[in-house]
Amino acid sequence: MDQLPTEFDVIIVGTGIVESVVSAAASRVGKRVLHIDRSDYYGGQWASFSLESISKLHEEQIERKNIINSSHIEHSGISEFVELGNKLFDIKNIECTWHVQSKTDTEQSKESTEMNDSDLIQNLVPNEEQHTQETVTWTKEALLKESRKFNIDLVPKLQYARGDFVELLISSNIARYSEFRSVSRVLTWLNEHLEVVPCSRSDVFSNNKVSVIEKRMLMKLLTSLEDVEKDLSGCKDKTYHNYLKEKKLTPNLIHYVLYAISMSDNNTLCEQGIKQTRRFLGSLGRFGKTPFLFSMYGSGEMPQAFCRLSAVFGGIYALGQPMKGLTISENKFKCLLVNDQKLTAEHLVLNLEHAPKQFVDLKKLEYISRCVLITDRSVMSSEKEHLTLLLYPPENDKNSVIMIELGTLTGTCPKDLYLVHMTTRQKTNPKEDFLHIINNIFNINHKDTESEKPKVLWVCYFSLPDFLSSDVKQNVPDNVFLGTGPDIDSDYDFSVKQAKEIFSKMYPEEEFLPRAPDPEEIVIEAEDEEIEDKDMADKQTDQKDEATDGEVKQKAETKDTETKQKAKTQDTETLENVEKKQVDH
Amino acid sequence: MDDYKFLFKVVLVGNAGVGKTCLVRRFTQGLFPPGQGATIGVDFMIKTVEVGNEKVKLQIWDTAGQERFRSITQSYYRSAHALILVYDISCQPTFDCLPDWLREIEEYASSKVLRVLVGNKIDREDREIPTHVGEEFAERHNMYFLETSAKESDNVERLFMQIAEDLMKQARTRDLPRYDSNAQSINGRTSTIGDSSCCSKLQ
Repeated sequence: MDQLPTEFDVIIVGTGIVESVVSAAASRVGKRVLHIDRSDYYGGQWASFSLESISKLHEEQIERKNIINSSHIEHSGISEFVELGNKLFDIKNIECTWHVQSKTDTEQSKESTEMNDSDLIQNLVPNEEQHTQETVTWTKEALLKESRKFNIDLVPKLQYARGDFVELLISSNIARYSEFRSVSRVLTWLNEHLEVVPCSRSDVFSNNKVSVIEKRMLMKLLTSLEDVEKDLSGCKDKTYHNYLKEKKLTPNLIHYVLYAISMSDNNTLCEQGIKQTRRFLGSLGRFGKTPFLFSMYGSGEMPQAFCRLSAVFGGIYALGQPMKGLTISENKFKCLLVNDQKLTAEHLVLNLEHAPKQFVDLKKLEYISRCVLITDRSVMSSEKEHLTLLLYPPENDKNSVIMIELGTLTGTCPKDLYLVHMTTRQKTNPKEDFLHIINNIFNINHKDTESEKPKVLWVCYFSLPDFLSSDVKQNVPDNVFLGTGPDIDSDYDFSVKQAKEIFSKMYPEEEFLPRAPDPEEIVIEAEDEEIEDKDMADKQTDQKDEATDGEVKQKAETKDTETKQKAKTQDTETLENVEKKQVDH
Repeated sequence: MDDYKFLFKVVLVGNAGVGKTCLVRRFTQGLFPPGQGATIGVDFMIKTVEVGNEKVKLQIWDTAGQERFRSITQSYYRSAHALILVYDISCQPTFDCLPDWLREIEEYASSKVLRVLVGNKIDREDREIPTHVGEEFAERHNMYFLETSAKESDNVERLFMQIAEDLMKQARTRDLPRYDSNAQSINGRTSTIGDSSCCSKLQ
């Protein structure tokens, strides 16, 4: 394999969402970027895994610790050498268990298909007949055979349809690298039952669990909260819960608004609650029935979309790179030691996970409890497959829980199965934090054979650091920036904000992720291949601004004719200056 | 709106320098880029062709240089209808890497994706991989096989037209990898999605 180039404008270590956004932004404005990761997969703590590889997460963590411990290099000259990595933010409490028989007579698979021999596994789909059977008995082997059809997120995220992240995807044109599916229903746990939360006006009216008077109350409240201009002076120094009570809402309505729509709890302050409610209402009606989108193939795709843009604009990508450490002199990062190479750059961006111990001053570390289940049916059965968001209210000593249930249409799990993600602020440990929900909604021990509850086939618990609630001070050289890992919020706003800050500190003059041209707009000149991308993009924008509708149409027609001719004659003609225009912007 | 009937996503993989970009440029623009450097700024290219009086739009994706250090994003393989694996007939290591590429394809691409093996640079006189060796490899792995020269424009048109025709055939027999109930979303330029069962392409 090639040697890495050694000189860059910025080196970015870690392929989490913050680093990936920074990488895309820097490459986009023409900076020479090296984006590098120790792991051989994208995403770091934001990655998605197959069923097989998530089961090995624990081993990998241990392995990584050993790598960190084993490397040591002497100081040389005036510069100081520091090792990369720390153990502060590791994933904890990993525990995966199977709740299926290991092998049964119904299992028709050919023996000898070893999971570690990945070449051999093809056509993992159980055949059609199996699907049409009333009950499919899943075994560990059968599930592992479908391992790659699972894309299990460490950090599952939902995007608000009009949130900052979605707007950024659209404005930067990064949206073209991913597909999304809208959450099709929002549920909550109310009076010991799962209930559909009325989200939109039409939902409110069609909901038969809500009385006519309640409907009016709810509409009035939502309309008043939507109004940004409205005076919120009655809101000072109280919780959102109290505010809603004062509005004389019924307990059911308070439940819907407080725990579901605003994703608040009993302690959420009024102002925050209203902000959250607006965030929800403001994203309604753009894509589908609820305000939320989920990225196809899992949230692990999101960092990759930004990395793709970075690569398209010249960013160099190298995964699976053993990094020894970096040198610092005069409080500035000088070079990164990768393999036997010394790589230099003006700036260094590091994920906190990769940051040398001495760069991190940890004041307080909070955790997110996570639980992932594979189940045999949806929590609320229905004719069509739903993408479900379930907001489980706080209960006794438990925090509120966000649950996302994904079916096969999301590209994250095989047919006839569901992947359930649960996320909450950690109180004790993941197992205890979700115990009540598992008992209320799922059938985990399969004791009750008549039960309609979804059977749990596999469960995995783990804890991730929550950088939104933690307090981590940075103690870094002038040209080093640290990006954080996961956070408890349902969208990526926290990460995008950080990425923007890092970018503007490095390049205060530059625009953050301007729109990338569509392929149709790229001018390719046969004579001169070495066009600066930035210039190219600028040129495009200028042209686009100038062009009137008429001009655009005309050009589109010319283009069509050209294409037709080419297709018919099958001759290849040399176009000195191909210019293509986007028609529908 | 464009009046094509089908849109297919074709992705290219293979070692750096085997001529992936040149194949795409040759086909979509009819030119052979003289530059040697890695591909910059090119995301995918589009060409509309006609297959039996039907317009077929091919969206051809390039690796954006991420193959150089074997760091192609998984998402690159998602939703591909056809996959072209390219090696350089004058460079043995590019052929030796094919099993690695196949492993990656197995892992991330749909199992129904149309796969084509291409030995490029047949204009070169210092051939290292005889045609039959490539052919045999392709046969063993259930792939189509073609040798091309992007420089001399040999078989390039044929390669992509063959892919378009095959995908059309598959589409007619409904044997295409179906990524969603709404395949249009690949090109969707809409900002409102009426049916929540569809997946949305943001724009």
